[in-house]
Amino acid sequence: MNLFLYLDRESPVHRLDPRTKIFLLLGSFVAAVLFFQPGPLLALLAVLLLYGAVGRALGNLRRVWFLLLSIALISTVSWSVFARGSTPLVWRVTWEGLRYGIGAAIKIDSMIVSGLIFLSTTRTEEIVLGLIRLRVPYQAAFAFSLAIRMVPTIIGTALAIRMVPTIIGTVVTVAEAQRSRGLDLESGGPVQRLRSHVPLLVPIFLHTLRNTDQLAKALESRGFGAGRERTSYLEIGFHVADAFALILAGLILAMFIAIRFTG
Amino acid sequence: MREVLTMWRHTKMVVLVALTAAVYAAILIPLKGIPLIPGFTEIRPANVVPVVFSLLFGPAGAWGSAFGNLIGDFFGTLGLGSIFGFVGNFFYGLVPYKLWGKMGPLSSGQALDARSTRQLLEYLLVAFLASLSCAVIIAWGVDLFGLVPFGVLAPIITLNNFIAAAILGPFLLWLMYPRAKRWDILWTEIMEPGEISRAPRPWVGAVLMWIGGIGGLVVGVAISTGLHAALPFQFGTGTTGLGVVAGVLPFLLLFFLGCFLA
Repeated sequence: MNLFLYLDRESPVHRLDPRTKIFLLLGSFVAAVLFFQPGPLLALLAVLLLYGAVGRALGNLRRVWFLLLSIALISTVSWSVFARGSTPLVWRVTWEGLRYGIGAAIKIDSMIVSGLIFLSTTRTEEIVLGLIRLRVPYQAAFAFSLAIRMVPTIIGTALAIRMVPTIIGTVVTVAEAQRSRGLDLESGGPVQRLRSHVPLLVPIFLHTLRNTDQLAKALESRGFGAGRERTSYLEIGFHVADAFALILAGLILAMFIAIRFTG
Repeated sequence: MREVLTMWRHTKMVVLVALTAAVYAAILIPLKGIPLIPGFTEIRPANVVPVVFSLLFGPAGAWGSAFGNLIGDFFGTLGLGSIFGFVGNFFYGLVPYKLWGKMGPLSSGQALDARSTRQLLEYLLVAFLASLSCAVIIAWGVDLFGLVPFGVLAPIITLNNFIAAAILGPFLLWLMYPRAKRWDILWTEIMEPGEISRAPRPWVGAVLMWIGGIGGLVVGVAISTGLHAALPFQFGTGTTGLGVVAGVLPFLLLFFLGCFLA
């Protein structure tokens, strides 16, 4: 099971610089917040789906279809009840409110789809390096990157990304120690087995905390925070395709802005 | 709020940011499938993490909460709301350590593992304001862009945050504090006193934070639901305009000012 959404495929979108994809993501958010009417938002969603198809990222829609459907439903209902309108339909619901709710639903789903395409086509390392190149302080980007790497180890899913072997060792050691004290992890149904894992959490959690000092010392011994300029094994750079993508996205955004302000 | 920036000088604090973020995200992610408002909030027992880790790790808990929430959004809900989620969760992790011991007679003045009724009351108060401020910031942001009504989102986030922090928090805090102290990873032991902001009258900041937080929630919900103009025993008419944004903004500014002064 892959915890993260990244799809390791060959596509023009995969090859783009992560900074380009961050700008495209932000551009899609700007285009989405320009509108409240369903029409232009549906056009934006169509553009995003085309972008996702080029990036061979739409397979991930299967993982979030229920979420997108739920968003559409809840958003439509809540805005229908809350939004002001002059054409009553039923109870507090007006035609204007319903229309506003449908628009909000498409808007939120468009943003989620845009985020999904970004995450499906950009590796975590690329996102972090892109942030550093965009002048996000190295320490903050490092903490973010380290946290992402630690997440699967804490969840206990070893297959997603690189593991920290010491923490896997911790889990195994703690589990063995608890078993030797009579903890039965195998028998019972799913709920019983889930409950029997609870005693493992506290020592694993505390052991991870206890390693904070060692991890900090290990980082400093490797020169963490010593110099201002750092090199990276992973190289990124702007190419012709990036310029083309940014110009195309700029034109599309300009078109949406024109539609918004000229009616 | 100087310590929010100066903490990055300490490698141990950087590691604590990562640790907080990883733990927060790791508990958030498996429960993404049980949404309360799809795309914006779900059942979140992980909400205990920002409050407890804030009290232990100070600004590292604040940054860690912000990063952890963003990482959680990387599992299918990344959107414009993630920006406000980042800011809201930063303050969710900032309020507890900023407010602790600065509420005059309401503060216990005891160590974090005192296990007294007064300390529990102080914990519940800071957890409540942290939950509230996070909710107001996120709900204000998503209402600004017409995504989810303030009147729906703010109360749900407030309750969702507070219930987890109130039920699980005291036990986690009492469990972790003695160990964190023994292992020298409390933020007050890592950072130098000169790196931490010292306000001459922190209670003024605390009062402003309370007024800003509660005022923002009450005014926002009243405008969003139309309650402010409703007749008794009748629903009011809600709004899709900038009423909520304009009404809540002064309270948000008051809250931010309070954070600087506390």
